[in-house]
Amino acid sequence: MSAGKLDQLWVVAKPKLLLFLKYAKVELVPPSPLDIPKIMKDVSAGIKSFKSGSWKETPVREAWLNTLVTVEVFCWFYVGECIGKRHIVGYDV
Amino acid sequence: MSAPALPAPVNVSPLIRFGRWGLLSAGILYGMFHQNRLSKKETAFREIEGKQKVIRDAQLAAEKKLASEREMKNLEDMMTTKK
Repeated sequence: MSAGKLDQLWVVAKPKLLLFLKYAKVELVPPSPLDIPKIMKDVSAGIKSFKSGSWKETPVREAWLNTLVTVEVFCWFYVGECIGKRHIVGYDV
Repeated sequence: MSAPALPAPVNVSPLIRFGRWGLLSAGILYGMFHQNRLSKKETAFREIEGKQKVIRDAQLAAEKKLASEREMKNLEDMMTTKK
């Protein structure tokens, strides 16, 4: 009975899952050791622009996008914390 | 659902990907570590509470007994003096 339903679900979900995986393989893949030099270059470029004061000359749109991405990246820490404590809000003692 | 040619996947900068995955794993580790620490504290606290509960229950029972005895005495006094 339920095996038939599962097959039906798989037939519907498979193309969408494949589409998701197609994007995920490029966008969500964790950084490989090959990317380390690029990461360090980006970090040093960021620090240099901060020191030389050229960060004040980024367009507002870019600065806003940078802020949003930074906030999103920090939010993943809290997602990880929820996973680690195995409880959504607060600790389960 | 047949959307016209969905956009090509974006090459997300490795710094952003590093930040996301790094903070995710850091968060998981921190969550596990903190949960462990807090649950240990709570079990220790529960033990102490358990012991105190026994003592406190005995005290409350004694107080209640005293209070009810006093009440009975008061009632008896009222009954006898009213006559």
